[in-house]
Amino acid sequence: MDCTNNKTDQLQIIYGDVTLGVHGEDFHYIFSYQTGGLESLVIGGKEWLYRTPKPTCWRATTDNDRGNRFSQNSGMWFGSDMFLFCSNVLVTIDGKDIEKPIAPLNNAFSEREVASTVKVTFTYKTITVPTTEIDVSYEVNGTGRIQVKVHYYGKLGLPELPVFGMRFVMPTKATGFTYEGLSGETYPDRMSGGVPGVYTVEGLPVTRYMVPQDCNVHMKTKWLEVNRNTTQNNADKSKDTFTLRFSAVDKEFAFSCIPYTAEELENATHHEELPLPRRTVVSILGAVRGVGGINSWGAEVEKEYHISAEKDIEYTFEISKG
Amino acid sequence: MVREMKADMNWLDDPEVFRVNRLDAHSDHRFYKDMEDMKNESNSLTQSLNGNWSFSYSMNAKERPMDFYNVDFDDQTFDEIQVPGHIELNGYDKIHYINTMYPWEGHVYRRPKYLLENHPEGAGLFSEADYNPVGSYRKVFDLNEELIGKRVCICFEGVEQAIFVWLNGEFVGYAEDSFTPSEFDLTPYIKEKGNVLAVEVHKRCSAAYLEDQDFFRFFGIYRNVTLYAKPSIHVEDLWVRPSLKEDNTTGKFKMDLKISSAMESDIDTASEIGTVKVILLDKEDNVVFQTEDAINETVSLKPVEIEKVNPWDNHNPYLYTVLVQVYNSEQKLIEVVPYKIGFRRIEIKDNIILLNGKRLIINGINRHEWSANRGRSITIQDMEWDMKCMLENNINAVRTCHYPNQIPWYYMCDENGVYMMAETNLESHGSWQKSGKVEPSWNLPGSHVKWREVVLDRAKSNFEYFKNHTSILMWSLGNESYAEENLAVMNQYYKEVDPERLVHYEGVVSNRIFEDRISDMESQMYTAPWDVEAYLANNPKKPMLLCEYMHCMGNSLGGMISYVKLLDKYENYHGGFIWDYIDQALWVTDEVTGEKVLRYGGDFDDRPSDYEFSGNGIVFADRCEKPAMQEVKYCYGLYK
Repeated sequence: MDCTNNKTDQLQIIYGDVTLGVHGEDFHYIFSYQTGGLESLVIGGKEWLYRTPKPTCWRATTDNDRGNRFSQNSGMWFGSDMFLFCSNVLVTIDGKDIEKPIAPLNNAFSEREVASTVKVTFTYKTITVPTTEIDVSYEVNGTGRIQVKVHYYGKLGLPELPVFGMRFVMPTKATGFTYEGLSGETYPDRMSGGVPGVYTVEGLPVTRYMVPQDCNVHMKTKWLEVNRNTTQNNADKSKDTFTLRFSAVDKEFAFSCIPYTAEELENATHHEELPLPRRTVVSILGAVRGVGGINSWGAEVEKEYHISAEKDIEYTFEISKG
Repeated sequence: MVREMKADMNWLDDPEVFRVNRLDAHSDHRFYKDMEDMKNESNSLTQSLNGNWSFSYSMNAKERPMDFYNVDFDDQTFDEIQVPGHIELNGYDKIHYINTMYPWEGHVYRRPKYLLENHPEGAGLFSEADYNPVGSYRKVFDLNEELIGKRVCICFEGVEQAIFVWLNGEFVGYAEDSFTPSEFDLTPYIKEKGNVLAVEVHKRCSAAYLEDQDFFRFFGIYRNVTLYAKPSIHVEDLWVRPSLKEDNTTGKFKMDLKISSAMESDIDTASEIGTVKVILLDKEDNVVFQTEDAINETVSLKPVEIEKVNPWDNHNPYLYTVLVQVYNSEQKLIEVVPYKIGFRRIEIKDNIILLNGKRLIINGINRHEWSANRGRSITIQDMEWDMKCMLENNINAVRTCHYPNQIPWYYMCDENGVYMMAETNLESHGSWQKSGKVEPSWNLPGSHVKWREVVLDRAKSNFEYFKNHTSILMWSLGNESYAEENLAVMNQYYKEVDPERLVHYEGVVSNRIFEDRISDMESQMYTAPWDVEAYLANNPKKPMLLCEYMHCMGNSLGGMISYVKLLDKYENYHGGFIWDYIDQALWVTDEVTGEKVLRYGGDFDDRPSDYEFSGNGIVFADRCEKPAMQEVKYCYGLYK
């Protein structure tokens, strides 16, 4: 149950044996040491997470990626996208790092623990050769706003990335989304024609490329609101729309909001082979490779639209109630 | 010309036989018996034979019903098929998509006749093949009243790939070239009632070497079939040459007519059989000038200069109407021919292509004729949709890749100011491009004299049918057919018959020995922006355009702005044609869900295939715009 007696800006913290609960007015988050990330994101009684979000480092191969053998050269990112694992968790309370508060350390806490800010940082290890790490920190303040900072550590010898960001899989299919950014589907090398504005998209359209592939990326986004009206909670009969908001912090992000993961798209040769759309996959992206198009049998994407994996990538965004 | 009386299957194998009794190509003008028909655009002198035909499919020539053209042949066992349409899409033969490879790759070993010393014969290559399907079509028809008693011809606007025609048991003719009209004179055999038209269509013949376009490989009667009757005096051909003088306000008007009479002796003796009146009308139907000449086999108008014309271009596609009225010696109106033309001037000056004195910018696309329902047998509605889509997205030019299109498309381009690169039906990349590498040990059309007339005829057909279309700024020799003597001869042909237009060919980049004899412009395909710049910055011999660029396969079209920026920097860069307009995929019923789904190359057990390479459009196969279209619209809008 959500905590309803907290009228201050203080966060109530549940030092669990396996998870760290963070409650406030109308929100309730659970960070899991077991699944390696934010396991539950409940606002207004509605769960927003199907599985623990993780960094994403793959996009479903586009025809052009296939043609210039990008996927052969960078394919180890495909494995990492699927099998990334959490290697460390760091909990920071009111700015102070604490020892991972699992049993028996958590015996020292009570049912009335509070803080002004809680930050949980998860470190992920890639399964690339060589391997590298990604830190994802969630910093929650008393209003329930979560600031997510994502830091990729570049490593010499790693092949270029197709994309880098965070992927959130939501339990049910969204009714649509609204964002402030560029019109249409845009990529770094195909956004001159994008017109800035606020746009609403009904449903979760998947661009009907003959062979399903990465699609529906929106560059230069200031914020994104995802709307749903269904949950997987058997006791929840409401059909009212509820909304989650992602906002840019320092610089604009890119995103896609479709019913499929990169791997689901990757595996289909036709649209009819895709699973029935039942979830919402929101990718909040800090870096996107261009799509290219000089030709489809070898020509690379223009140099400035590559993503080096040898350099660090960092970006920040916020999650809040819509 | 001696009329052949008997069909011969060996013609399928011989590149030197590509037309038998086929009429000469001529301008695509519409003609009417009087002004009223013209105003209503209803031509009572034509009779469509589209619709249900009886049909039989055979796997090869040996198994075909040999005597099906006989009047008393019993076609009870025949099926019904819709004309126009592809035989494959009616379920008779496997649908097959393949790009550069010849469609028999891995199935049959073939080398074309005459090119290699160890393969001199090529006899039976197609006529005796185990797999070379044949469609046998029969249609019984009565003549419409207006056609009775007149000279009657038949026009097959498009039949792929070789066609034998009989009427009432008599052999009429043979033709190849799948993408230009094939016309035959039926007058000697036609009756008022109960005509039996028999058409045998062979999927492949020696022309297959020249028609290796990157598309689904179909056969059948896939464009209109129309009978037309010629009035007693008939304009067979007109060649209107409106041009614009250097001052860009004075128009020049030249025109040649070829006229036939039902009584050939009339015209031979040049006795006064009548007069031909030519009137030029502006958009508001004001008479700009008119003139009258005595009818002769050929009538050449004295060149006329016209002050203050409205020049034609993309922004203002101003069209005048040329009205040709044919009167007999009793001053009775026999025939009316209207043709809309525009005054414009295309030229190269100081290495820059100029239209009406201004630098030409091509915001172009390559367009295959395609419908997810009907394949290449597209409808007027499809064409109208395409035109609207192009105009809405700032596309100002179209390349008819890689064959002549249906006739109405050329009229639409005139009306809407869309610049055309009118391409000849020729693509032979399977002969010299193997796995993407240049390997011309044998290549077509090459240099061999026995392969010359066939490609020259394709150039002639392209020129003769479409020469009056103002929108055509350049002729194109074809696509990806390497470059040797026979292409140089085609180039020379276009320059000779039509020195006022430009000639385009890209393939010369693979064999630059022919650079000075082929193509008025440097044309490349898929060159990266920095390599385009390298060419332009290095004292280019010719102005440059990209006949194909921005390969819009799947989620693509990244980096288009880099090309657009080159237009600012180099006056002799003229833009290009995006590859391409529409994804080639077909609606089928999903065998699992029963839903309508789009399928592409390789989805029909068709092997070898190039699979999803069939889809590179800026619109999907169902004509929904791809997301990339907003980039196209923006980039092309910068130089509108």
